[in-house]
Amino acid sequence: MEDIKNRVLEVLTDGNLDYKQKKHHLAYIAESTQAYPKVSAEAMEALSEKVICDLFEGSAPYRPRYILPDYKLALIRGIKYLELDPPTDFDEAINFLSILYSHVPSITGYSVYLGSIDQLLLPYVGDLTEEAIYKKLKLFWRYIDRCLPDAFVHANIGPEDNIIARSILKIEREFKQVVPNLTLKYDTEKTSDDLLEEAVKTVFEVAKPHIANHKMTAADFKGNYGVVSCYNSLPEGGGSHTLIRLNLKKISDAHKGNLETFFSNTLPKYCLMTLDVIEARMKYLVETVKYFETDFLAQEGIIKLENFSAMFGFYGLAECVNLLMKNNGQDYPYGQNDEANQLGHRILEEMKKLVDSRQLPYCEANNGKAFFHSQSGIDIDIEETAGARIPIGEEPDIYSHINTVAPHHHLFNGGISDIFHFDETIKRNPLAVLDIIKGAFKKGMRMFTFNLSDSEFIRITGYLVRRSDLKEFREEGSRYGSTLFAANSMDNADVDKRIAKRVNSHERTASQY
Amino acid sequence: MRELRANISGIIKSSVIDGPGNRMVIFFQACNLNCMYCHNSHTIGLCNYCEICATACPTQSLAIDKEKKQIFHNDVTCTHCDTCLKVCPENSSPFYKSMSVNDLISEILEIKDFISGITVSGGEVMLQAKFLEQLFISIRNHTELKALSILIDSNGNVDQNRWETVLDWVDGFMIDIKAYSPDIHKQITGFSNEKILKSIHYLNLKGKLKELRLVFVPTYNDSDEEIKKITDLMKRLSPEVKKVLIKMRKHGIREKYNFLNEPSLDEMKAVLNRFETAGLNLLII
Ligand code: SF4
Ligand code: SF4
Repeated sequence: MEDIKNRVLEVLTDGNLDYKQKKHHLAYIAESTQAYPKVSAEAMEALSEKVICDLFEGSAPYRPRYILPDYKLALIRGIKYLELDPPTDFDEAINFLSILYSHVPSITGYSVYLGSIDQLLLPYVGDLTEEAIYKKLKLFWRYIDRCLPDAFVHANIGPEDNIIARSILKIEREFKQVVPNLTLKYDTEKTSDDLLEEAVKTVFEVAKPHIANHKMTAADFKGNYGVVSCYNSLPEGGGSHTLIRLNLKKISDAHKGNLETFFSNTLPKYCLMTLDVIEARMKYLVETVKYFETDFLAQEGIIKLENFSAMFGFYGLAECVNLLMKNNGQDYPYGQNDEANQLGHRILEEMKKLVDSRQLPYCEANNGKAFFHSQSGIDIDIEETAGARIPIGEEPDIYSHINTVAPHHHLFNGGISDIFHFDETIKRNPLAVLDIIKGAFKKGMRMFTFNLSDSEFIRITGYLVRRSDLKEFREEGSRYGSTLFAANSMDNADVDKRIAKRVNSHERTASQY
Repeated sequence: MRELRANISGIIKSSVIDGPGNRMVIFFQACNLNCMYCHNSHTIGLCNYCEICATACPTQSLAIDKEKKQIFHNDVTCTHCDTCLKVCPENSSPFYKSMSVNDLISEILEIKDFISGITVSGGEVMLQAKFLEQLFISIRNHTELKALSILIDSNGNVDQNRWETVLDWVDGFMIDIKAYSPDIHKQITGFSNEKILKSIHYLNLKGKLKELRLVFVPTYNDSDEEIKKITDLMKRLSPEVKKVLIKMRKHGIREKYNFLNEPSLDEMKAVLNRFETAGLNLLII
């Protein structure tokens, strides 16, 4: 109790937190007084050693981690709980969504998904002029950034070219806001080159949108999907109860034995343990908290339990492969050597099999299985490379990079990302990026995210910070591009602490107190 | 028919500065000009197997078989010090490779999904017009490659029949104008420019001139008369032709031309203004 009191006091007196942030942390501390959902002692130990990481979801899950409301349905039906009638014009639709957003729970306290915003608003355009739409959307976008100040809040546009999508890209370039994060769903047959070019030019300015391979992703879902938070693809009208990730570096460190026993013992043991944690957390949420019986979104059908599943994530594949290779007498690194890459693929295929062979409750959205997700890292990852990525600074040329990672993208129905870096000369030739994106998608990539070496925006793990928000950015130029971009660098934590306080990234801060 | 081959000094598989989109650039060995500011002077000449480079190589990474006209390069021991390139009396290099049309086609196939097209450059690529014709026909007849755009980056210093050989297969040409007056042209490149001026008008007439570039060399091609004549020439070209002013850069030029002055940004702006006053808007690269 003394300990809790001290933690509470620390939050209350921390001048770096605003009122809302304090409330979020206090809630986290309160939640931590509850016993963790029942798992084996071994799994508990793995959790505390961060071999299995629950991303600070808390010990008593009382809301799903990621909720993707069926906003379209909400707009059609209205929402009784919020006393909102179906909107009849553009202003009402924006007003409706603005209100609803602030009531959607998530792990961060802010809605992680704002919907396929262009598809939602197009029916209300009526005879509004381009200028009028632009002006209204500007206010909407400012509202989102100021009132949902969290880097994981995510909107989608596309795949069809339309006035809303274009206006949003224009506003993004103009406002240069961190929030919301943005994804363009791209489909060769539906998305015009012109819209893709607009998107690419927007990435030049603000390091977003991400470009998602629409056809490939849509094929993994029964209904509509959304890209939310950090490159997670999930079903609309549902989402994911939880995301638990396995630290592949740590399990390879702990592994005693040869390569084959890694596959026959260590890997399955920890995958199953991770799935146990997932199952226990879901049961707690659904059976103990009875979230889906009590929340208004579920009661009004805006989300449905049957549209939910869970996410099985992992990180540190590169380190895992490198160690296993080394112990096998082949000191060749992942990303640069064919055998190492093959081993990487084998580990991923094996994990996918293990995940798919475990029937889980409350995962109907994926036929009783967890979504497989290459987790893009958070800033406490000091030694581990994000998901299945090639370590920063060790990436081969762009074609080899794509050819190395594309073959495993199909495994990740829960989402995966690799980040490509371009020199600023490419700004004069956006068509070159279009060529590379199209090529990458042809090779089977699911998501394309790129950075420019001189961007005003800096990507930390999956979310963005503005360079000008970094106060004492040390040794600019030398750190940038290597250490700074590293999702696994201690310095990143420092950088992150110095971002504008208004915008949160709660995955990290939640555990701080 | 005997398979044609060409000497290839290098291939860049992803270039974003050699035309629209992501492009593969193929560089051909040998040139028929000798510009003071050439950044790749080792692509000007052809090797005569004199062995001077092999003797000079500090790591003994080169071996030359004069009789078979073959050069062996040990990539493992080579430190990429470029001594061999510097000592070569022929402005050549021990590294270029003889390649067939099929060799190039398989290189293109490997990355076809990622590119808008190819750009061939040099050296002076039009010296290989026959080879180009076969390469381009192969591309146009290949189901997976035929949509690629083909651009030629040339110094323009060839006769009309060479343009005719490739014209039908090519999307466009990017040509340099080094100077207008033949004398100044000779100072800069060692050769006169009658053919080049003819080529510019010919390609313009055929609607295939995409870009005309002037490399600005202070005190050489910036007299009032030069500017006026170049302006007149450029104004006679189709408005579709992109007209570009390029800053001469000293990076990589031969030591004996170290006396050249790289124009400052202000000098670039000043000369741009003089063109503007003469009635011509140029893009700067
Ligand atoms: S590359 Fe130059 S120096 Fe070397 S053998 Fe050929 S001509 Fe002689
Ligand atoms: S680059 Fe240097 S080490 Fe390599 S072959 Fe030429 S002279 Fe020898």
